[in-house]
Amino acid sequence: MATKTIRVDFLARIEGEAALDLHVADGQVVTAQLNIFEPPRFFEALLRGRGYAEIPDIVARICGICPVAYQMGAVHAIENAVGVAVGGQLRALRRLIYCGEWIESHALHVVMLHAPDFLGYPDAIAMACDHGDMVRNGLALKKTGNELIRILGGREIHPVNVKPGGFYRVPQRAELEQVAENLKQATENAIGLLRWVATFRFPEFERDYEFVALRHPDEYPLNEGRIVSNRDIDIAIADYTSQFEERHVAHSTALHAVVKRRGAYLVGPLARYALNFDRLPASVQALAVAAGLGPVCRNPFRSIIVRAVEIVYACEEALRIIADYEPPDAAAVPVEPSAGTGFGCTEAPRGICWHRYEFDADGTVRAARIVPPTSQNQPSIEADLVGVATPLLDQSDDVIRSRCEQSIRNYDPCISCSAHFLKLAVHRS
Amino acid sequence: MKQTARRKVLVVCLGNPDRGDDGVGLLVAKKLAGLLPTDVAIASLSGDILSLMADWAGFDAMICIDAAAPLTAPGRIHRVDLATSELPRNLSPGSSHALGLGDAIALARVLQTAPRDIMIYAVEAAAFDSGTPMTPEVAAAVDEVAACVVADVERLQQIVAKLAT
Repeated sequence: MATKTIRVDFLARIEGEAALDLHVADGQVVTAQLNIFEPPRFFEALLRGRGYAEIPDIVARICGICPVAYQMGAVHAIENAVGVAVGGQLRALRRLIYCGEWIESHALHVVMLHAPDFLGYPDAIAMACDHGDMVRNGLALKKTGNELIRILGGREIHPVNVKPGGFYRVPQRAELEQVAENLKQATENAIGLLRWVATFRFPEFERDYEFVALRHPDEYPLNEGRIVSNRDIDIAIADYTSQFEERHVAHSTALHAVVKRRGAYLVGPLARYALNFDRLPASVQALAVAAGLGPVCRNPFRSIIVRAVEIVYACEEALRIIADYEPPDAAAVPVEPSAGTGFGCTEAPRGICWHRYEFDADGTVRAARIVPPTSQNQPSIEADLVGVATPLLDQSDDVIRSRCEQSIRNYDPCISCSAHFLKLAVHRS
Repeated sequence: MKQTARRKVLVVCLGNPDRGDDGVGLLVAKKLAGLLPTDVAIASLSGDILSLMADWAGFDAMICIDAAAPLTAPGRIHRVDLATSELPRNLSPGSSHALGLGDAIALARVLQTAPRDIMIYAVEAAAFDSGTPMTPEVAAAVDEVAACVVADVERLQQIVAKLAT
């Protein structure tokens, strides 16, 4: 029996460290294992014994690119535990800071990390020689998203202004009106980016995913909603564990999340879009259709188009929120600790991020559990890799390696968040 | 007829004040307060360098101050003139979501937003641990770096650009 090994020792343009092993037998990819060897970071353990008010600032440190997602999941879980609801302008401001995170995170991935794959460049710097306008466009979008986070969060990375009940300080109208001017240009930049990525050539590849996302009665989901799927899951956030479970796997320091009795599922832009297309404004729906998307997209390589659609949406939504903004009387509603359990789940740029906390009567954290999007997507990434690599087995190892790396980047995986990336080995027998 | 104009200089101080010696660039920024001509822009940056690259456009010269990985001795000052040397690239080890200074300058040059003259002051660090104080040898380098930056600013401004009117 002949065995052949292709190894990718490091996968570029993703966040974190991992390797990929492809096991090939009789001309078929038998398994694809994403070996995540980033050391465990023990955030859930270090939250135990800390006060409830400390959680948003601690969990923000899980990720430098999506700290708002962790903060939002945490504050909603804390408020759920003590029976506090945050509405009005404070709720709108939470949506606004999340728009900032979607804009900066998606713009970075679309332009700097993913677009070079489709145009045949090793990185964005090389791509900028021929597509400088689009790189400038992406950097301007990222700057605008960062600006929103800085105004509302106090600083653009690991913001410090989010607290249970609202914020430590809320902005004046003039502060937001200033960024609104930039958001108008950002909307134009996002539409230009969407039209550009729609011209890329995409591999013909689709899978029948179980899409999982939040769904809200009125809005494209960010902070609130029920957890739904295209296979009849429709549950409250608190009931996540009734349908989903996390499993240890030997080849990863990150847990794998699956739908009980079914297996892999997909979270993130494709899932969010497919389950909430009707919640997008007609203007954004029209741009998506003009970019070649239907109401459902099952080709993971085209996720770059969906991310660009979501950037447009986030810019428009941010402008709407700012136009309606009146500073609230108080920066936060009171939150008094009590014993109990709280749940939160929000739409991080990479998909749903679920939190559960148990509190003592004084608000001390007794237990914490956080299920980040990349953990949920790992089984789906591995299933994609089997499907993507199998038709390429008669081609060179370099071709297989390149397409596998591109497939993984379809997910914009954040390994640091999930534990947390890529060496590729193809074992042919 | 010809007029002369002082060149526009930007000083960028990089670092994270909560990561031990990584904060040396920010200490230099504090030291430079009041020491530079009022037409010199100074930026302290502990966040995302990518989103600020557009702000480099329009400057004739840029001086960057940052901590460097340990090599020979903590506090040793390395002055790199990008007219004659290149910064190593692909040195951002922890994240693809942030560019290192070398990559950021390379990208800015492609996008034609990089100042023509770029000087780097890199102070060798000993440790970047969270919440730890700065190594005394690194802190002791702050005054010398600041003095060098003041001298460089003066020299860079003196390289007179002749503007035809």
